[in-house]
Amino acid sequence: MKTYLTFLIRCFRLSFVGDWRYYGWMALLSVTALFGLNAYCKQMVFGLATTGMTDQVSWGLYIANFTFLVGMAAAAVMLVIPVYIYRNEELHDLVIFGELFAVAAILMALLFVTVDLGRPDRFHHLLLRFNFPISMLTWDVIVLNGYIVLNLHICGYLIYCAYRRRKPSKAFYIPFVFIAIVWAISIHTVTAFLYSGLGGRPFWNSAVVAPRFLASAFAAGPAFLILSLSVLAQFTTYQVPPKAFMTLRNTVAIALSISMFLLGSEMFTEFYTDSAHGASAKYLFFGLHGRHALVPWIWSAIALNLVAMLLLYLPISRKLPVLQAACVMLIVGIWIEKGMGMIVPAFIPTPLGEIVEYLPTLNETLVTMGIWAGGLLIYTILVRVTVPVLTGRLTYDQEFSVATDMRSPSVAATPEAHS
Amino acid sequence: MPVRPSGITNASFAPWIVALVFLALAAWLTFFSARPDLGPTVSAALIEQADIRPEPRRHVLGEPAAIPMGGYSLRCMECHRFFQSPPVERRILTQHTHIVLRHGQNTRCFNCHDRADRGKLIRYDGTRLGFDQVPRLCSECHGTVYRDWERGTHGKTLGSWDPASGKQRRLACHECHDPHAPAYPDYVPLPPPNTLRMGEQGSGHSAGIDSEHGQAESATLGGSGHDSPLMHRSSMPRGTKEPTE
Amino acid sequence: MTTPTSATTDVRIWDGPSADAPQPRRSFLRSAVAGAAGLAAFAAALSPLKDLDVMELADPQAFLQKHYKEMTPAEIEVALERIRNKVEARYGVRPDIRDLRPQAGVEFAYALNLSRCIGCRKCVYACVAENNQSRSPQIQYIRVVEMPRGTLDLERGNHHYDRPRVPDNDHYYMPVQCHQCANPPCVKVCPVEATWKEPDGVVVIDYDWCIGCRYCEAACPYWARRFNFAEPTLPKEELNPTMSYLSNRPRPRGVMEKCHFCLQRTREGRMPACLEACPTGSRKFGNLLDPTSEVSQILKTKRVFVLKEEVGTLPRFFYYFDERYPSAHDENVDDPRLPTSPAPEARP
Repeated sequence: MKTYLTFLIRCFRLSFVGDWRYYGWMALLSVTALFGLNAYCKQMVFGLATTGMTDQVSWGLYIANFTFLVGMAAAAVMLVIPVYIYRNEELHDLVIFGELFAVAAILMALLFVTVDLGRPDRFHHLLLRFNFPISMLTWDVIVLNGYIVLNLHICGYLIYCAYRRRKPSKAFYIPFVFIAIVWAISIHTVTAFLYSGLGGRPFWNSAVVAPRFLASAFAAGPAFLILSLSVLAQFTTYQVPPKAFMTLRNTVAIALSISMFLLGSEMFTEFYTDSAHGASAKYLFFGLHGRHALVPWIWSAIALNLVAMLLLYLPISRKLPVLQAACVMLIVGIWIEKGMGMIVPAFIPTPLGEIVEYLPTLNETLVTMGIWAGGLLIYTILVRVTVPVLTGRLTYDQEFSVATDMRSPSVAATPEAHS
Repeated sequence: MPVRPSGITNASFAPWIVALVFLALAAWLTFFSARPDLGPTVSAALIEQADIRPEPRRHVLGEPAAIPMGGYSLRCMECHRFFQSPPVERRILTQHTHIVLRHGQNTRCFNCHDRADRGKLIRYDGTRLGFDQVPRLCSECHGTVYRDWERGTHGKTLGSWDPASGKQRRLACHECHDPHAPAYPDYVPLPPPNTLRMGEQGSGHSAGIDSEHGQAESATLGGSGHDSPLMHRSSMPRGTKEPTE
Repeated sequence: MTTPTSATTDVRIWDGPSADAPQPRRSFLRSAVAGAAGLAAFAAALSPLKDLDVMELADPQAFLQKHYKEMTPAEIEVALERIRNKVEARYGVRPDIRDLRPQAGVEFAYALNLSRCIGCRKCVYACVAENNQSRSPQIQYIRVVEMPRGTLDLERGNHHYDRPRVPDNDHYYMPVQCHQCANPPCVKVCPVEATWKEPDGVVVIDYDWCIGCRYCEAACPYWARRFNFAEPTLPKEELNPTMSYLSNRPRPRGVMEKCHFCLQRTREGRMPACLEACPTGSRKFGNLLDPTSEVSQILKTKRVFVLKEEVGTLPRFFYYFDERYPSAHDENVDDPRLPTSPAPEARP
C-alpha cells in the first residue's frame, strides 16, 4: 500500500516536470480549461439559457461532443484486438496508450453529459432512483462508468507492474482485456441506441445508426492514436514500432470506408424513398424551406472524409506527415458528421414541423473547449507519467534515473525508417 | 509544490512565464469576463383575463331587441300586447343569417317567435316554448347538430367533466350562436408564440427590443406568405450575433 | 513537428532530468509562485458563482427530499409546507397547494374538434395563466398550428400566424399539447423516473426530481415538453395560488414541464382551463371509462384520429371532425329583400 502511494505521489510530481514546450502545452490547456470552467460557472448561475439550445433544438454541441467522444473511447480497443486476439506482441505497450486515451475520452464524455444537465446538483437522483433497464441513458451511465473502471484497471495494473519491474500476472489483466473489447463495442452501441430508439425522431430511428457509430469511431479513434503516438515518437525516447502506424493506418482506412458506405446507405434510403421522414436529412444535406445552416458543414465533412480515405489507400500515406494530415482530416470530418451532423438535424424540423436552427453561443463553445482542454490535460499527464515507467526510467528502485538511455528517439519514430 | 531539484530540463524560466500567464488569466476573468447574453427577454404578452373568456354571444341584435320609435326605445311586447302583428305564412326551410331588425319589413320573425306572445318561442306544430327551451326549437331544423349536442359532442360544457356529478352545465344553442346570425363570428387571434430566446439579439434587455422583435416576427411570418400552401412560416433563426464575452 | 531535430537533448521533453539541476530554493520559489498564480486564475474562473443563489441550491430540505412516489403523507406535507414558504417568500402570496391524488375508476381523455377550432389561441393563454408558466422566457404548453386545408403534414403548418381575424377560410387550426400517451416514450427514457404515468392516465413530472437531461424532450413525438432554460418569471399579481404538487406549482430553473390536463382542477372534478377558455366548444374533456361522458360519446360516434398513430404512443388526445365544416355555409340569405334593398326605415 505504501509503495503504491509512493508511486502515485511520484506520478503526481512527475506531471509538473518537463521542458518549456511541456510547460507551454500544459499552460495552454490549463488556460483553456479555466476559460471553460469560468463559462460553466456562468451557465450554473444563469442556466442553460447561456447556450444556443432551445425547446426546438434541445440538444446541441454538448451532446454532439459526448457522442463523438464515446466513439473515441470505444476505439481504444482497435489496438487491443490485434495485440490480444492476433497476438501481435510488438504492439503490446501501445495498448496502454490507447486505453489511457479511452480513460480521458470517457472522462470528457461524462463531463459533457454533466454540463448538459439542467440540474447537475441533483446528480445523486441517479443513484436513488435508477430507471434501469428501461431508459437507455441508464445503460449508458453503467457502461461508461464500467468502461472507465476497466481501462483504469488494465493500464494501471500494467504500468504499476512495469514500475515494480514485475511481470504482470495474466490472470489479473487478460480476462479484463477481453471484457474490455466487448465492453468498448457496447458503449458505443448503447450510445447509438440512445438515439435510434426514439420513434419520434425519424432521422435517428434507423437501425444503421449503431453500425455507423462504430465504424466512424473505429476510424477516428485510431487516427487520434496515430497522431498522439507520432508526437510521442518525436518528443520522447519512447520507441513506437513503425508497424504500429501501419496497423493503425489499415484499421483507419477500412473503418472509414465502412463508415462512408453506411452513410451512403443512409442517404440512399432517405432520399430515394423521399418520404416526409426525410425532412431532417433534406435539411442537413440541402437545406429546408430556405434554412441551411448545416449544409456547408456536412459537405465539408464528407469532402474531408473522402480525401482522407483516398490518401489512406494511396501509398503516399506511408509517409508520416501525409498520414498525420489524413488523420486530422478524418477526425475533423467525423467530428462534424457525428456531432453537429447527427445530433442537431434530428431536431430540425421539430415534430410539429417548426424549423428553428441551432447555433452554439460563445459561452457554450468555451465550455466545450474547456472540457476538451481538460481531457487533453489529463491524457497528457497520464502519458507523461507512463512513458518513463515503460522506458524504465521511473521504477520502484530509482525515482528518476539520470537518463541512461540516450539513443535518439526519432530514429525509430518515423514509419518509413523501419518499413 | 516541492519539485525535485533535478526535475526541470531547460526550463528554469518556464514557471515564471506560466505564473504570468495565470495571473493575466485571473485578471481577465475577474475584470473582463462579461455576463453571458441570454438572448432577448420576451416581454410577456399582456393578456387580460377578459381575453381568455368567451365573448358575448349576441352581436347582431341587442339583448333584448329594441326598436327606436319616436325617440323611445321600445321592446316588442310594449306595443304588441295591444296590437296583433299581421298574420304571415311560416316558412321554416329558410336560413336565418344576418337578420337585421327593420320594423314592419321582417317577415320571418314568427318562424321562431310566437306571434301572440313575444316572450315565447313557437315550434312548427304550434307548441309554445319558453326561452329556457331554445335547443328544442332549434332541433326542429338542426336535427343532427341537436343529436350531437344532446350527446355532448357538439357545443360547450362547463362545470364538471363528470356527468354524474350534477354540476355539468351544457350551454344552450343561443349561448354560443346568435340566433339572428348563427355563423360563428371571427376573432382577433391572441399573439403568436415567442418562446424562443432568439431572433435579432440586441445589446440590452429592454422591452423595446422585445416588441420590435415581436413585430418583426409577425411581419415576416404572418404577413408574407399565407397565400402559398407551401410557404413555410416558422420562427426566426437564432441571431448570428454572438454575445460579447 | 514532423521532421525530428538532430539534437537529442532538445527533443527530449518528458523522459528525464537534466544534469544542470537548478538551485533547490529558487526552484521551490518558482513553483510556489506558479502554483499561486494558478490558484488565483482558478479562483477567478469560479468568480461568477458569487451570483449563484446558494440558498436555493443548498436547501438541505430540498436536497434530501425523496422521490414523490417514495414520500409518506407526512413527508409530502413537509414538502408542501416548504413550497408554500418558498412561494410566499417570492410572490407574496400563500398558495393553496395540495397533493391531489387520482380518482379511482377515472381515465382522462381529451378530444378536440378540428371542424370547430378557429385558432384564436385563447386556450394557449388561459393555460399560461392557470398553470403559472413563465412569462419570460415565454413557456406555453399549447401550440396552435395553422394548417392548409387538405393536408395533415405538420411541416406545412404555420405556428406564427398573426392575422387580423381568424379563422382563415383556406386553413384549419390544429392545437397540439401533451397527448398523455398510454405508451409514453418520454416516461420510458427518463433516467431517474422523474416523469411517469398516473393511474388516471396523466403523465406527470416531479419538478423536484428532474435532473434536466432533456432526453424526454428529444423522445416526445408531439413536441409537448418544455424546458426551463432560464429562471422562470411571472408577475406576482398573476400567480394562480390554487396549486397542486404535480401540476402548476412554480417550477425551478433547469427542469422539464408540460401539460398535465390541469390536475389541480380536473382531479377535483372541474374542467381544464383551456377548455373553459375555448369560445367554440371545440375542446372536450372527460372520463374514458364512463360511457356517458362526452369523450366516450365522441369516440363512439365521431370520426376520430390521433396524431402520428404510427409511432405507437397511444395518445389520450383525440382529434375529430364534424360532418360539415362550420364556415363552409353558403352566404345566401333567406329573405333576399332585407340585406340588399335600401328600403327606408318604416315609420308608422
